[in-house]
Amino acid sequence: MTRLSPLAYVPARGVLQTGALAPVALYLGAYLAVCFLSDDPAVLAAAAAGAALAGYGCGAGRAVRFSFRLGLALAVTMILVNGLVTSRGSTVLVRLGEWPLMGRVDVTAEALAAGAAIGLRALGTMMVIGVYSACVDPDRVLRALQRIARRSALTATLISRLVPLASADGARLNQAADLRGPAAAPVGRFALAQRLLGGSLDRAVDVAATLELRGYGIAASTGRSRTVPSRYDRRLWLAGAVLGAAAVALLLFGGTLSAYPRIEYSPGVPSLVMAVLLLTGGLATWRRGGRVRGSRI
Amino acid sequence: MARASEGLGDDSALQFNDLTFTYNGAEAPVLERISLEVGAGEFVLLAGRSGSGKTSLLRAGCGLVPHFHGGLIEGEVRVAGRDTREFGPGQLADVVGYVAQDPETQVISTTVAAELDLPLRFRGYSGAERARAIEEVALALNIPHLLDRSVSALSGGELQRVALAVALAPRPPLILLDEPTSQLDPVSGDELIWLLRRLNEEWGVAVVLAEHRIERCLAAADRVVVMDRGRVRMDGSPAEFLRYANRSEPALATPGSRLFNLVGIDTPPVGVRDGRMILRQRGYRPEPGQGGRSPGRAETGNRRSSGPRVTIGRRRDRARDSVLRAKGLWVELDSGEGPVDVLRDVDLEVGPGERIALMGRNGAGKSTLLRTAAGLGEPAQGRLDTPEGIALLTQSPDDYLVRERVGDELSGPSGEAALRAVGLRVDPDADPRDLAGGERQRLALAIALAGRMDGAELPGLVALDEPTRGLDRSLKDGLAELIGLLSGRGAAVIVATHDVEFAAAFADRVLLLGAGELIADAAANEVLSGGWYFATEIARMLDRPGVITVEQGAGVLLGRDPVEAGR
Repeated sequence: MTRLSPLAYVPARGVLQTGALAPVALYLGAYLAVCFLSDDPAVLAAAAAGAALAGYGCGAGRAVRFSFRLGLALAVTMILVNGLVTSRGSTVLVRLGEWPLMGRVDVTAEALAAGAAIGLRALGTMMVIGVYSACVDPDRVLRALQRIARRSALTATLISRLVPLASADGARLNQAADLRGPAAAPVGRFALAQRLLGGSLDRAVDVAATLELRGYGIAASTGRSRTVPSRYDRRLWLAGAVLGAAAVALLLFGGTLSAYPRIEYSPGVPSLVMAVLLLTGGLATWRRGGRVRGSRI
Repeated sequence: MARASEGLGDDSALQFNDLTFTYNGAEAPVLERISLEVGAGEFVLLAGRSGSGKTSLLRAGCGLVPHFHGGLIEGEVRVAGRDTREFGPGQLADVVGYVAQDPETQVISTTVAAELDLPLRFRGYSGAERARAIEEVALALNIPHLLDRSVSALSGGELQRVALAVALAPRPPLILLDEPTSQLDPVSGDELIWLLRRLNEEWGVAVVLAEHRIERCLAAADRVVVMDRGRVRMDGSPAEFLRYANRSEPALATPGSRLFNLVGIDTPPVGVRDGRMILRQRGYRPEPGQGGRSPGRAETGNRRSSGPRVTIGRRRDRARDSVLRAKGLWVELDSGEGPVDVLRDVDLEVGPGERIALMGRNGAGKSTLLRTAAGLGEPAQGRLDTPEGIALLTQSPDDYLVRERVGDELSGPSGEAALRAVGLRVDPDADPRDLAGGERQRLALAIALAGRMDGAELPGLVALDEPTRGLDRSLKDGLAELIGLLSGRGAAVIVATHDVEFAAAFADRVLLLGAGELIADAAANEVLSGGWYFATEIARMLDRPGVITVEQGAGVLLGRDPVEAGR
């Protein structure tokens, strides 16, 4: 018996789990768009926090915590890598001398700040993907995609199955790494990630082949499934539309972090408004009486 | 070749016409000049050693070759008259079902019910039709209790049954199965084979089944096709196959046919019933009153059999120098669907050098016991100690192979000692994933052992979880040899397995788990000869307590001491 992956979807009575796909996609898509479009650290941090709130509201606390740890690891890696490979910036914190291939390495506060901004983007993205994976039924996504992308089994598979697959494979690989003898070569996170990526892509292709075998490409009309409305749909439409519009406004008026040659960042009113919207938007999944209780997640 | 491609009829379910196929990047073809026809309603067993081309042939039969596994294809494959070069797997899905080796890659949906619903929905079934088809296939495969379960929480065997149910739900006229019993316990494996036979007889479903455990399914087959290095070497009836195997490919021969060959009986037995009938005609009678007796919950070291006994070295000292001690062990797991007791009140002592087969139905708690011993889980109550250390090889040895060179996985004196301990000699520059199946398994075990050995001394316990999946008999013989090597050097070896013939080949003691409880713990020849399902083919054929291997069986039939004969 295997333990359910933290990112695996588990049916529950949460807002995202019961909501219609279109408003859910708009709502989570708006958060994802902000993570991709914004350079503003306050907005990125608010997007990550808003996504976490949305996840907690739906009972996906385990997925939120797992995504946070993963995103944080990515963010720290990006800060370290950017700190080492970028010597731009005028505030030198440490001089590490001459390194082979890299030449002179100076760690600057600006490079670390720029790395942190990229890391925040990764963290926010991980949070949104984690909440999506744990709260949105991949079976519904698959059925919906079959109507609009019948011929593209691979696309559908990658969207609906890659995250849980990679998560299950990752858990297995980590376990095998724990069972290695103490004198076997240690397996670092990078080696595991590389192995996981290669393996998961192969597995995704296998699953796509299975989809084809199941008859995904058959031309039989399955008819349009009747969508059961949810009482939260209106709320999700509204929150998604507001956040989506704000994301577009952010592109036009949002603040940015300028790291080089010196750190310059002064969040303006639009950034602060956006941050507040993203945070409060996360509460759109909270139901009267609090978050989903008794969830198995 | 007893039968070839002549006379392709209109009612054939599957035709291979002079098919040659080479995977992209491969130097040699994996299938070479294959001409074969499977008639509607035929039950064909595909036999052959690992790497002989069985999987590729099945993939070609459902369109995955060349549409998903690309390469150079010559000749043609027709499924219900449709050329697979023009029709992809999706377009063939209404006429052929396919169950691949690894059930984990065949899961698309989140719950079992949704998984069964998916192919029916794709085919345009109405809601009522889908509900009935799901109900019927779930009943047929004994999985109604799984319908609401999350697929992520299923064991390998449960997943395999679900994958088969999904392939059968739309009732295709042809079904191709690649080692469908490899993860099933003997009970479920037998049930599956006879379900396939029933579908074949009552509904005319043509079945092509690739299997290594040939003795399980030979009696159900109409015909056997033997593959070797990409070519069809033999195509004939089960009896013709057994004669061919005894003559030219002993690794494929069933235990029953090897027994008959050994004692000079010309007619090879196609299954247990056939074997018993032949033996009865020749005057053999089982010992009266012994048939079907099943060993109860045996106390450790208790001998209740009146038949030949195997003296197990070091067992007398077990209590004093145990390498595994479990006392009142309870383990609870929560796979996301609420906590369940997976192990219940298990008491167990394992002594140094013992070779133990850990058996039981799917979900009985075998893997959980090994994983808890290796520290991957905590007892909910009771104790479990492995005072001299443990090395565990899980079900997927490939998960241990992360680096691109063998030398990078294991280096230095400890690494070399671990490689020597498993008897593996390979080029340090070789890519681990390019090694053959048995070599990959040994390398993974060496990785688990590295540094756990005190000089050349192995850890007290080596545990292997389902290591025979996908292995042919010669590779299993190699694995049994490795187990003997490890045991000979003082390590106790516990192997969780569903393969009774393999258990008979290596084990001196068998632990049988039932719903988390230890229901039998006795010598291998006692447990594997005393039941209906957890019994070898020889035990079922001769029905003589304690007689489980070909050599012991020959001893009985030739009037020698079976214990001496079995040594």
